[in-house]
Amino acid sequence: MNPAEAEGFAEGAIRRALDSGAEWAEARVQGTKGRQFIMKNGEPQPSFFAEGYGIGLRVLSRGALGFAATNTMESKTVSDLAWRAVRLAKSSSSLLVKPIRLDRSKPARTKWAPPEKQKVEGATDAWMRGVLKEIEGRISDGKAGVKIPGRVMALGADLDEKFYINSDGARVVGRLPRVYFFGSLTAVEDGETAQRFIQQGETGGLEVVKRIGLVEKVEEEARTLGKVIRNTQKPPTDTLDVVLSPELSGIAAHESVGHPQEADRVLGREGAQAGESYLKAESLGRKIGSDEANVSDDPTLTNSNGFTPVDDEGVVGKKRKLIKNGVINEFLQNRVTASEFRTSSNGASRSVAFDREPIIRMSNTFVEPGDYSTDELMKEVKHGVLFKTFTEWNIDDKRLNQRYVALEAYLIERGEVKGLVKAPVLEITTPRLWGSVKARSNRLEFEAATCGKGDPSQGAPVWTGGPETLLSGIKLGAR
Amino acid sequence: MDFQGLNELALKQATRLGAEDAIALTASGKQRMIRFANNSVTVVNHVEEAEMMVYVAKSKRRAIAATSNLDPANVRRFVSNLFSSLKGLAQSEYVPLPDKARKFSPNKAGFDRKLDQAGSELPELAKAAISASLKAGGKRSAGVIEASTSESTILTSSGTVGADAGTSIKLNIRSFAENDASGHGLSCSSTLADFDPESAGERAGADAKRMVKASEPEPGRYQVILSPEVASNLIESVSDAASAFSVDAGTSYLADKLGKKVAAASVSLTDHGWVKGGLGGRGFDDEGTPTQTTEIIRKGVLKSYLHNLTTAKKWRAPSTGSAGLVTPHPWNLEVGSGDATYDEMVKETKKGIILTSNWYTRFKNYRTGEFSTVPRDGAYLVEGGRVTKPLKGMRAGDDLQRMFSSVEMLSKQRDWVEWWEVSTPTLCPWILADGVKITRAYE
Repeated sequence: MNPAEAEGFAEGAIRRALDSGAEWAEARVQGTKGRQFIMKNGEPQPSFFAEGYGIGLRVLSRGALGFAATNTMESKTVSDLAWRAVRLAKSSSSLLVKPIRLDRSKPARTKWAPPEKQKVEGATDAWMRGVLKEIEGRISDGKAGVKIPGRVMALGADLDEKFYINSDGARVVGRLPRVYFFGSLTAVEDGETAQRFIQQGETGGLEVVKRIGLVEKVEEEARTLGKVIRNTQKPPTDTLDVVLSPELSGIAAHESVGHPQEADRVLGREGAQAGESYLKAESLGRKIGSDEANVSDDPTLTNSNGFTPVDDEGVVGKKRKLIKNGVINEFLQNRVTASEFRTSSNGASRSVAFDREPIIRMSNTFVEPGDYSTDELMKEVKHGVLFKTFTEWNIDDKRLNQRYVALEAYLIERGEVKGLVKAPVLEITTPRLWGSVKARSNRLEFEAATCGKGDPSQGAPVWTGGPETLLSGIKLGAR
Repeated sequence: MDFQGLNELALKQATRLGAEDAIALTASGKQRMIRFANNSVTVVNHVEEAEMMVYVAKSKRRAIAATSNLDPANVRRFVSNLFSSLKGLAQSEYVPLPDKARKFSPNKAGFDRKLDQAGSELPELAKAAISASLKAGGKRSAGVIEASTSESTILTSSGTVGADAGTSIKLNIRSFAENDASGHGLSCSSTLADFDPESAGERAGADAKRMVKASEPEPGRYQVILSPEVASNLIESVSDAASAFSVDAGTSYLADKLGKKVAAASVSLTDHGWVKGGLGGRGFDDEGTPTQTTEIIRKGVLKSYLHNLTTAKKWRAPSTGSAGLVTPHPWNLEVGSGDATYDEMVKETKKGIILTSNWYTRFKNYRTGEFSTVPRDGAYLVEGGRVTKPLKGMRAGDDLQRMFSSVEMLSKQRDWVEWWEVSTPTLCPWILADGVKITRAYE
């Protein structure tokens, strides 16, 4: 992306929007480049490269918001689009019950990028194929201890470059390189199947592959499938303790804390799509969990998958303590909802492409670590089940009724991890889950995920994470 | 913009550099959207985009790339870079493009000029849906109306040339009443004249009102009456499993089942490249193969997977015109109708649950088809052929083959469905199935 050219388009658009009657306007020029290589059962698929470049404009006029975008990067087209966005906002004001206002504080003026040793622009098909071939060499033909006839793996390297300005003086230049991996492994043995979907991703350069130990991780996942497929032990049905691994702690934090604490959901804006929230505007300060329930969202974690040090409304991001000692402490806010809540935006507005409106998103959502070592935490368990990884999961649209089906799970007796149990199901309400937290280990780990929200849909890269989290007094189901 | 001219430019560059096969495909679109919540507009969107995808192959090395920078100089550079990237690739599964050149003309029946020009009408249409919901008992509504125009052109190195265009308009409205009770309504159409926001709003409002005193059901196995929305969501997973790519990848419960029974005899599933009233599709796929009508399931028996040229060669079958260069996919799905009315289906239900909407369908294992999904909005207990009370707070789980094998009745009436939870347009009836597991959360 040529920054001078981007600046020219963005400034021209803002000028035209204000001239056309907008009270406020923002423009984001975004260039995206991405290379991806897929291997299916060892067979390379056609390599894929994509590049995109366009501008997204958002305006406030007569209390209504208008968003417009194009990838026809010509001055007249962009200028006309700014006029159109204002006209659309004005024309929709007849359907406005309550005028939209914006928190217009803290316009950021900064440049940002995560640390990046080997630039993502250096990603080649040969390099990607080499990484995937190395994984293939470790898991094909039963080398990981089980036959995995279904293997689809994709390795990709993307670069997002953003130039953002708004009419209050924000000016932000961002560079967001990311390396990611998706894998689907299906093991088959004696008529049984076991399946694992793997997602890894960090912002940074090509060094990410080695830093996260991608090859070794996928090999380990493949070996685990061999154990899982042979296991037939049913999970216990009595009341017991449950230890959530970092992976399970993370998905629970994301689904039943992060989502219901998005202020736009609380206010009903996503009602027809991802739904609303069991929490209301007045729920701030409500005790929802035990004193050990502490969950945060932090966009500033270096090299994280959800790294967003400055958001797409030109607000500097900061750590959000969503649940503090069991109390609903803070919602994720953008400029629109912050105005409604009479607070300031905490920098949670993200857009995944130039043609998508920025909306409230999580970044890296996690259970805060505690004081126990992992061994000490396990010793607290007299009778329980460790949920290490999960497959099927879902949650209702108010984020009250959730379900996690374990892939790899172990019985724990008198503080010792015993054998595998097959597909235990944790189907539980949000207050019961967070009210049952008894202890947390000090081992904080993260998993990459893609969070879905918005219409048109926006899949946003995030991290989910946490330590081992001990829940007491739980009843499990079975698949 | 002269898209076919850009295709020619890209193909000329690719063949000049030595590509043995090449495809240039442009897609352009115009989306106009109004979103509302709490009966009030939240944003109006207008997006105009165009993109070119180019495929090149030489010596069994294949590469695909997409660009949104359609400046001619960039297109030339972009194709050159793409061709250069072939050198770094290994040989892969390769099937040459067919020699026969084809010509595709736009299907005018799928393009509504009034809808293409629509924009300023959207607030009024949203208002009509909200008002209908309020009248029917909804207190506040959230939703989206989206009007789309899409145009595609293709040119291949075999001389296949084509263009197509289509329009669609969709409303997704969700209404709320006391106690978080909610109802859902959809209207999907390829023409402005057939778009019916009032009926969708009325359904959403009426269900929200009926759900106010909902309670949780006893866990167990139930008959379920699935609305076209819910059934379409699950049918989309069936069509994903019918993609030959999924079968090869180990993520299909339909693997090894060609010619075998995978559903009740009353269940038939067809994919149409283009069909009257359909919301999407076009006359050619991404490889320039004509799209067609493909029977996936006929009277409960799996008849065909969906193929592109590469998967077709592997399976020794003809392409079904379903490319996706990597992954074959459906265009417009149709579930065969039955002869029952909705009332007759309720009457035949001894102990069952009517599900009008769902979301968050997730699989334990795609190879076995085991899933669960979360019902939302209108849901009702049926006892002895009578609707007795509204239900909430449940989850439905099964495996796809068992559930579709237990289908007892299908309705004569069918609706087109495409929304947030159903991305492939689907013409679908109400479906009555037996033995679906209903669970609820540990409180």
